[in-house]
Amino acid sequence: MAIDEVHDLQFVFREILHTMSRPGEIQSLRKLEGKNDLDLPLHDATLFTLLTLFDAEVSFHVLPRAENQVAGKISAYTLASHTTLAKADFIIVLPDATEAEITEALEICKKGTLIAPHRAATFIIDTDFTERNITVRLTGPGIKEQTMLHTLSNNIWEARNTTVTEFPLGVDLILTDSNMQLACVPRTTNVEVMEVE
Amino acid sequence: MKAKTHFAFFDEGSKKEIRRALLKAVAIPGYQVPFASREMPIARGWGTGGLQITLSLIGKQDVLKVIDQGADESVNAVSIKKLISKTTGVRLVERTEDATLIQSRHRIPEVPLTKNQILVLQVPMPEPLRGVEASEYQTKILHSEEDYSGAWLQLFEQVMKYGKTATGADHPVYVNGRYIMAPSPIPRFDNPKLHQSDALILFGAGREKKIYAVPPYADVSSLAFDDYPFQVESFAGENCHLCGAENVFLDELEDPVTNETIYQCNDTSYCLERLNENEEAEVRKTYA
Ligand SMILES: [Zn+2]
Repeated sequence: MAIDEVHDLQFVFREILHTMSRPGEIQSLRKLEGKNDLDLPLHDATLFTLLTLFDAEVSFHVLPRAENQVAGKISAYTLASHTTLAKADFIIVLPDATEAEITEALEICKKGTLIAPHRAATFIIDTDFTERNITVRLTGPGIKEQTMLHTLSNNIWEARNTTVTEFPLGVDLILTDSNMQLACVPRTTNVEVMEVE
Repeated sequence: MKAKTHFAFFDEGSKKEIRRALLKAVAIPGYQVPFASREMPIARGWGTGGLQITLSLIGKQDVLKVIDQGADESVNAVSIKKLISKTTGVRLVERTEDATLIQSRHRIPEVPLTKNQILVLQVPMPEPLRGVEASEYQTKILHSEEDYSGAWLQLFEQVMKYGKTATGADHPVYVNGRYIMAPSPIPRFDNPKLHQSDALILFGAGREKKIYAVPPYADVSSLAFDDYPFQVESFAGENCHLCGAENVFLDELEDPVTNETIYQCNDTSYCLERLNENEEAEVRKTYA
């Protein structure tokens, strides 16, 4: 069964909007299970996010950099153009990207300008929401009290926090996993690393 | 043969662009994100910005309410509802509680919104600093430098002139302690509903090509001075002559028979619902 470009992607968008508005709330795309018939080595949640947001008007970069073939296929399916880290509207981080690559990307990507803070990169990171050795506490707009996440690493969160010290500049994150889930962390969210083992 | 109309009127490319702008708007509360506003089959200034957001959000499962200055049956609300229902087939409702999507002009409903609802407000004039500075380029710089002295001065001049902040509707607000934002021409009475709202609130200005947002649980405060605090319209001692409601936004009318001033809920679906409840209670009492 193929993805319905109108109704399925509308559903994905609403789930992304929900968690961008309520940072750290993990949303499930399980409803679309079995619909991915595209020949792309991406988890469904990542792929559906790309299909929802990408078209010829946006540019992207893929990490790790060795993934040139993946980038070519993403371009072919979405018409988005592949570009450098420093220019990309979206940075797609695949599971085999190293921590060093990700922190470097956070350092050199677009953070927007004070006149146009929306011209900042959005990271789409394929990760795992059940990392046992990290707990982060999220607070800020969209969060009534606090939300906890168990994902990424201390160094990545520190690099992310550095990008948002001069709000409204910063980057927004869309985190995806292999279980058809996603959660967003926009630049307004205060992320506090609680425990690292 | 009938040409197949597109679901929710727009082609998917138009929706994508607006959806990307919406995500940025949520990530930068109160900041006006530019977007390529489309021509719509309703007159500009009649809610095309709000309509474009609604069309980019809506799915088959949604339940839609459209209100114009508190009324579900105004010409403007009806033409928006017609366009959306014709191209989506979604269920239309008047009860605020039943809706998942609410598009509104000039009011936030009286019934508190919930986590499962999105409110889309139509905006004629998105720039809160326009009265201070005519140039779009300059207002962008003022926002970027957080230079809001002009906005404060304007408010101060009103206080000097009228002894109070004399804004009617569209009283400017501070969002998340960073951006000054035009809340659209809602009465001051509705401004506090923006603060720590359970629902996501989105704003669309079609002519000015801007989208902005107030996420849930965000701090929103109305501009005011310590010695001249922000005040909402007061209807102290008055209540709706139909349903008896107090502490709601009331319209002032003249009784056609007695020529006396009477008051009536501005939010008509809220008023009707209360009337039905009262009636049911009456009926129940009678048969008890
Ligand atoms: Zn009433």
